[in-house]
Amino acid sequence: MSAHLGQVQKRYVLAFRQYLEKPDEVALLRAYELGRAALGDGLGVLEMATVHARAMATVLDRPLADAERARLVDAQRNFFVEALSPFELAHRASREANTVLRLLNDMLEGQAKRIAYALHDEAGQLLAFVHLAVARAASDLPPEKVGELNAVQGMLNQVDERLRNLSHELRPPVLEDLGLSPALELLADGVSKRWGLEVTVKAALNHHVPATVETTVYRITQEALTNAAKHARATRAEVDLRQTPHKIVCSVRDDGIGFDDTARRRRSGLGLVEIKERVAALGGVLRVGPNKDRGTDLTVEIPLES
Amino acid sequence: MPSEVRVPIASLADIVAARQRGRELAAQMGFSSFNLTLIATAIAEVGRNIVDFAERGEMTISMIKNGTRQGVQIVATDQGPGIADISTAMRDGYSSANGLGIGLPGARRIMDEFEITSEVGKGTTVTMKKWEA
Repeated sequence: MSAHLGQVQKRYVLAFRQYLEKPDEVALLRAYELGRAALGDGLGVLEMATVHARAMATVLDRPLADAERARLVDAQRNFFVEALSPFELAHRASREANTVLRLLNDMLEGQAKRIAYALHDEAGQLLAFVHLAVARAASDLPPEKVGELNAVQGMLNQVDERLRNLSHELRPPVLEDLGLSPALELLADGVSKRWGLEVTVKAALNHHVPATVETTVYRITQEALTNAAKHARATRAEVDLRQTPHKIVCSVRDDGIGFDDTARRRRSGLGLVEIKERVAALGGVLRVGPNKDRGTDLTVEIPLES
Repeated sequence: MPSEVRVPIASLADIVAARQRGRELAAQMGFSSFNLTLIATAIAEVGRNIVDFAERGEMTISMIKNGTRQGVQIVATDQGPGIADISTAMRDGYSSANGLGIGLPGARRIMDEFEITSEVGKGTTVTMKKWEA
């Protein structure tokens, strides 16, 4: 037992004995204040339960008459509930915070979608018009001036590509157009073609998945496959997406040499740290460990609101 | 027992008295023991707020009715410094609450209704209700 917990234990036993002698509101407030201080000191509900159980043991050190025993049963409940009440406050606060966090996530995802759309479709279309206008202008110009316009067109192409990349980073359009499972298959296909990695996708989705979760799963799969191909020198990878009414589980397993998360390559993809943050923001967990015989198993579990 | 009691609040002993009155009144109305604890908890947190920031104030605990529903209402008033920014005060982590969900925001979460009005230099009034069933 830590010195800290020992202190709480001592005070708890004392206050509990005082309550048993005189079961009044003064003693109950003492229990409440004890719990409140313990919460502030970082103790948890399980520690409090242990503290209470030990306090019970100290008062049960002699045989009790039936009436006394019955009184003790009631008294210990009242006292314990008071001591735990501050933890109920903390519990409700964290539940409320979780709801707010979820709403915030959805709001951010909605914003990302709108910005992605504006970049990809609206700005993209405007650029297409500019391209046409420049091409028309070029046709009227003397050949020695056309070179300058070619340079302009080159820059426009760069702007176009930058916009596309930005839009894709915010929200892959393929998710919008096809949904998560086909998007993952397309992603696997792309990785296979580009890196020569053999990728199989098993996706079993039967319920609606929130956009935030879709994007996160997509990004993580993308990161894991890219890592498998580029850095882990894997030859085969498997994406396994499953869903229960309460959660979505996505595993990416490869036969490579492990996950490379050095700062050097963090610039290009999401990186493990950012993946972890994204998953945590959705209340999920991420596990990166060895695959059965060889390679890496990256599994992410994200709870779904039922 | 009368259907309304007033308790001056200036010390821990007064908070004890207010909790006892609140518990008694609510027990009389048939609140479950779980809810009695929540009501006592809300009184402790709001009472502590008075003692810590306004030094003194008063709590009126009364039985209220709304159609067939009955409940307990606690009105806590003080003539303390008042709260300039209520939305900040109602956020976790303000002053001594440290983000643990205690303090005024904690009281809000365990009561069915919670209202706070305040004027700087004049004082603060918290009105909270808990309905039975």
